Amino acid sequence: SSPRGFLGIPPQDLEYFKSDVIKCRDGSNKFTKAQLNDDFCDCADGTDEPGTSACPVGKFYCQNAGHVPLLIFSSRVNDGICDCCDGSDEYDSGVNCPNTCWEAGKVAREKLKKKIATYQEGVSKRKQEIEQAKLAITKDEAELSKLKKEEEILKEIVEQLRDRKEQIEKAEEKERLEKEKEEKKKKESEEKINEEQKQSTEGPVNDHHETIGELDEHSHEQKIAESKDEPAVADTDDIAEHAADDHGTAKVEADISHDTEGSASPEHEGEQDKDVNTEGLSKEELGRLVASRWTGENTEQQPKEVSEENEEKHEENPKVDDNSHDEEYSGYSSGMDEENHKYDEDEMEEGDMDDEIDQNDHVDSGTYDAPYSEDHDDFSDTISNSPSWLDKIQRTARNILQAVNVFRSPVDTSDAERVRKEYDESNAKLSKLRSRISSLTQKLKHDFGPDKEFYSFYDCCFEYKENKYTYKVCPFKQASQMEGHSTTRLGNWDKFEDSYKVMLFSNGDRCWNGPDRSLKVRLRCGLKNELADVDEPSRCEYVAVLSTPALCHEEKLKELQHKLDLLNSEQPRQHEEL
Amino acid sequence: WKKDEFRNCKQTPFCHRARSRSPRSCSLVAADVAIHDGDLTAKLVSKNGEPFENPLILKLSVYKGGILRVRVDEDPNLGPPKKRFEVPDVVLGEFESSKLWLSRVSDEGVSSVVYLSSDLEAVVRHDPFEVYVRRKGGERVLSMNSNGLFDFEQLRMKKEGEDWSESFRSHTDSRPYGPQSISFDVSFYGADFVYGIPEHATALALSPTRGPGVEFSEPYRLFNLDVFEYLHDSPFGIYGSIPLMLSHGKGSGTNGFFWLNAAEMQIDVLGKGWDAEDGIALPSSQERIDTHWMSEAGIVDAFFFLGPEPKDVVQQYTSVTGRPSMPQHFATAYHQCRWNYRDEEDVGNVDSKFDEFDIPYDVLWLDIEHTNGKRYFTWDSALFPHPEEMQKKLADKGRHMVTIVDPHIKRDDDYYIHKEATNNGYYVKDSSGKDYDGWCWPGSSSYLDVLNPEIRSWWADKFSLQNYAGSTPSLYIWNDMNEPSVFNGPEVTMPRDALHHGGVEHRELHNAYGYYFHMATADGLLKRGNGNDRPFVLSRAFFPGSQRYGAIWTGDNTAEWEHLRVSVPMVLTLGLTGITFAGADVGGFFGNPDTELLVRWYQLGAYYPFFRAHAHHDTKRREPWLFGDRNTELMRDAIRTRYILLPYFYTLFREANTTGVPVMRPLWMEFPADEATFKNDEAFMVGNSILVQGIYTAGAKHASVYLPGGQSWYDMKTGVAYKGGVTHNLGVSDDSIPAFQKAGTIIPRKDRFRRSSTQMVNDPYTLVIALDGSLEAEGELYVDDGKSFEFGQGAYIHRRFSFTKGQLTSTNIAAPGSGKTFSSNCIIDRIILLGLSSGNKSALVEPGNIKLTIEPGPLNLHARSSSKALTIRRPNVRIADDWTIKIL
Repeated sequence: SSPRGFLGIPPQDLEYFKSDVIKCRDGSNKFTKAQLNDDFCDCADGTDEPGTSACPVGKFYCQNAGHVPLLIFSSRVNDGICDCCDGSDEYDSGVNCPNTCWEAGKVAREKLKKKIATYQEGVSKRKQEIEQAKLAITKDEAELSKLKKEEEILKEIVEQLRDRKEQIEKAEEKERLEKEKEEKKKKESEEKINEEQKQSTEGPVNDHHETIGELDEHSHEQKIAESKDEPAVADTDDIAEHAADDHGTAKVEADISHDTEGSASPEHEGEQDKDVNTEGLSKEELGRLVASRWTGENTEQQPKEVSEENEEKHEENPKVDDNSHDEEYSGYSSGMDEENHKYDEDEMEEGDMDDEIDQNDHVDSGTYDAPYSEDHDDFSDTISNSPSWLDKIQRTARNILQAVNVFRSPVDTSDAERVRKEYDESNAKLSKLRSRISSLTQKLKHDFGPDKEFYSFYDCCFEYKENKYTYKVCPFKQASQMEGHSTTRLGNWDKFEDSYKVMLFSNGDRCWNGPDRSLKVRLRCGLKNELADVDEPSRCEYVAVLSTPALCHEEKLKELQHKLDLLNSEQPRQHEEL
Repeated sequence: WKKDEFRNCKQTPFCHRARSRSPRSCSLVAADVAIHDGDLTAKLVSKNGEPFENPLILKLSVYKGGILRVRVDEDPNLGPPKKRFEVPDVVLGEFESSKLWLSRVSDEGVSSVVYLSSDLEAVVRHDPFEVYVRRKGGERVLSMNSNGLFDFEQLRMKKEGEDWSESFRSHTDSRPYGPQSISFDVSFYGADFVYGIPEHATALALSPTRGPGVEFSEPYRLFNLDVFEYLHDSPFGIYGSIPLMLSHGKGSGTNGFFWLNAAEMQIDVLGKGWDAEDGIALPSSQERIDTHWMSEAGIVDAFFFLGPEPKDVVQQYTSVTGRPSMPQHFATAYHQCRWNYRDEEDVGNVDSKFDEFDIPYDVLWLDIEHTNGKRYFTWDSALFPHPEEMQKKLADKGRHMVTIVDPHIKRDDDYYIHKEATNNGYYVKDSSGKDYDGWCWPGSSSYLDVLNPEIRSWWADKFSLQNYAGSTPSLYIWNDMNEPSVFNGPEVTMPRDALHHGGVEHRELHNAYGYYFHMATADGLLKRGNGNDRPFVLSRAFFPGSQRYGAIWTGDNTAEWEHLRVSVPMVLTLGLTGITFAGADVGGFFGNPDTELLVRWYQLGAYYPFFRAHAHHDTKRREPWLFGDRNTELMRDAIRTRYILLPYFYTLFREANTTGVPVMRPLWMEFPADEATFKNDEAFMVGNSILVQGIYTAGAKHASVYLPGGQSWYDMKTGVAYKGGVTHNLGVSDDSIPAFQKAGTIIPRKDRFRRSSTQMVNDPYTLVIALDGSLEAEGELYVDDGKSFEFGQGAYIHRRFSFTKGQLTSTNIAAPGSGKTFSSNCIIDRIILLGLSSGNKSALVEPGNIKLTIEPGPLNLHARSSSKALTIRRPNVRIADDWTIKIL
């Protein structure tokens, strides 16, 4: 055989090369032992040249005793660059590659140990997390069913009160009309007298106003009444709307701003730009305008036609100074410290030694444990802390209903007030109740992962500060970038991707000349929920990393331990060799 | 594309006037014909006095190789208000000194005749004045003013109440010297098509812009402009200008006409019958293509190139304006660019991803954002805190970096360049004499007056390793925005009445501004390396002569199929006009290419002489590994195709460097007698051996490919032979675009893949021999150190491989050296024979008398290619040696 012998062949493959005539693995050809590693490629798939660079698609095996063995591209063999820590890839290039495997192996083992430690703790945290999630779900489901029952009862009360209220109001209305008739008569006769005495223009006008006012009021009431008459089923739509409202006022805003953006599509903007009469501009304005075509950025002094900007643009670039172009651009990235991070990391193989754990201390990173919606906070207190509230309402309502006599004439105004007030109050309670129901329903509909390990994320937001920006990620809700008082939406909750390793937020604010913003949050095992490394590898496509115990899987831990065992088992043999 | 912001011919008074002129309106007569200082001189006098107040001076010079030069200018003795601008530093001194000293003029009564070459004569007809070249038999070749459109507006002093200013949109041009335009017609006899005059995004063969059947068209405009989102089919002028037109016809061969003039130019190609209504008979019965040339200022300094072969014209033109410089070897490989690789980490990631996916690349580029606030020669210290270390990391893998340096200087009193330029008075002045202040990336900016050699020299010094902080020897330069682009200037450029060194108005110089900037930058890199390191500078603006200073790309194109298609005629046209080191942004600058388009662009771009991917900062990331395994594989294959062919490309760059003949050629340059090739700009030749057909539509399953000539062609992927002279309808897959090796050629390859071209230096070669009908083939290999100028003193290997009578021979074709040598231990370890009958079983290598077997082996070492071809295994002959290999 050739002087290079079995160079570059992994031990488990040696058997394949033992015969005198060897087949190319792809079956395209065969070669003799003498042709093995003779620095001439006979098999297009590289079978005959594992130890040289002759075949473009081959792989070279370096043993790297003391560290992990490595398969490198054959393009690296004898190219003058040390790729294997044992230096075995540069046997004929005149470059001396010292053996660094022992050192590198030590470092790798340390790293791996650290990682395993993190995983060990993380796995138990994850278990706790899952337990808590189970409890929380049970609690939420219990609350939901309780609320639904309460809703039934309350709905009935509200309906009774409404009926009573309407009866009273009908009676009142009747009284009022009669009274009005009388007064009118009286007035007419008075007016007649007045007119005869002296002319007055004000009287009729006032009168007119009143009439209109009354009519308006009337029709308003009618509308309300109508809507209340609708069957309960129809309310589900309502509820959904309320729900959206409740934990997502932002969502509604979002929809609105989204609409405005829709009209400001790139083509549209382009047209706007085209329509701009650049002749009216100062030299500087013109310079900025033309520059903005390439940069897609806002110009400082906007021509009138463009001044009707949507909010998003202002937010994106609230203050444009002389350096607007570059400062705005570099803004999001200039704070990137060396160790603070790689957007590409998420594409790295899982097996990578240190990617999965967040070992950095992100001082800036903060977790929001405060519930997302204050509104809902209030309400849940009301509901859960005073279990007797419903009884109280029931009692009061019953009292009122009994006490108030609708058929008394004239209507007792204080009775009427009482009914109205009680109706308003219980109705408000009902709608709060409903919105709580719908928000709970909404919440429980979400996919919280195979073990519900992301349940606690629902009420969390994670923050990360970088230079002038604060990034806020609220799982299942939305993500945003804040600068001072302006907020740019990076996206609404979309889904988990990549088997729960990525959270995707999409349909954020549109970029000028670009796509809607979006954010991918790559999850990795860590002991705390911490957001880090927000980056924008492509314009308006953000990525971030969130370390969380939820990603500390037991199987992965086993895998890592196995890897360490392997490393350690090679150690003693290796040591002897040294 | 903001049409309204650019002038059309109607809005351009000189163009409008010239276009409205009718044929035969020139009344000039050549008088006082004489020989003076070896030139033929004459006075051009107007028969009726008007509109020429003063006679003009006509000067005819003849140069070695039969190049005719015609100059017309005002008579300096008659006291014109100002000397008109003649573009300096373009015509080579070497060319000037090759002037033939005329001593004799034959007087034929109505005309004067001088000798050009053994079969050509130049003729000055006296009345009406006309210059033409004819064959000894009397047949016309090329002429000027045959249609009497010649017009020359002389400089005048402004009279009381005269207003010469011109306004366009909000800009006013004061035009202190009044109208000073020049226009004339040029006729190409026997031409089927005309080509050249870049830069336009349009077909290779220029369509008529006036005449019957032409609805309405602007003339081809030559005015260097930074056009936002340029259209893919328009006569509108973009970033660069070369007023060289070539004609080609089946009967007449190839000719060229070059007007050295840096002012705005407009050129009409006149369709047959454009002057028919005039009723005047042609002065000759020959078929011809008439063209109309109009320029705003300057003088007539025109060159007639008389071929007769296509390559002769390019050779003649580059003998005047210079041959393309020899590029750094690494620069002929693949370049990875984006606006912007944002920080050191981003650079590190992109670099390591190429390695992770085993995709070779040689150069990583940084756009404007790497600077501190668009102050060139500085670094954003937050994003790039360790520029030297970053470059070193790349250099350790044999890779290089390019940073951008634009001509606009930020007006910032704390910026050293601005301070020095202001204090030294190095900026272009506005019409009132103050430093011109325009708007570009940095905001308020001024522009260096690079017409002045002193300023160029000062600028060049800024590139030294000491002066350019954070630079290392592996850093090279990119000149963008050098039209110059001025965001708030008229038509996004500098006002025409801005003032340069020596009182030259910007209007006179405009098209050459970028050229001088490019020159100064290239000189800077030359100085940096003490004259031992070849500069690499990419420029967007260009002018005749730019080929001496570096590469050119076609600017801000768009990620659309039509832009992929037009990139071919654009790069071909640049090659025809001397600029061979050219390419288009792979993927398209604006917009997001769909994946198929991106892949097709890589497959085509791998054959551009300059091969760089680039993208706008609003676009999605599009590095080759971002589109799934299959597409990564396709793009990697495309890039590797280029790396395999680097020895062939480099040999072609050397050919361009010595002859001017471009690397990428229109088919008609290789097959001048094959009419079917004259308009074909979807396919092209790389050198004389490879034909490439682009795929320009989505989902293509078939391609119609015309293979010219009488020889067959070998599919480079499969080795299958196709007949020449036939249009083949071929099946197309996604894994490559059709490419063929012409029978009768030998292509040197390097089949091993590496991280970058740098690691390929010692790798063995493969020769692919495609035998023609008489079992012969020929090819060349040029090798040098890839970076220094020692090749100029003979430090190179240049071999000719010829296969004839069953024997392959390597012979030395290097010119005798002058003191320096280059050696290489590289061997040829594989010889592939296409077109040989499989009966041949062995080969004998001499010297050494070594017998080798011939057996089928892989044609390509790509994993997916299963094609086989007869292969001589391991002949292991050195490229530096003479040897023969006999097929037994």
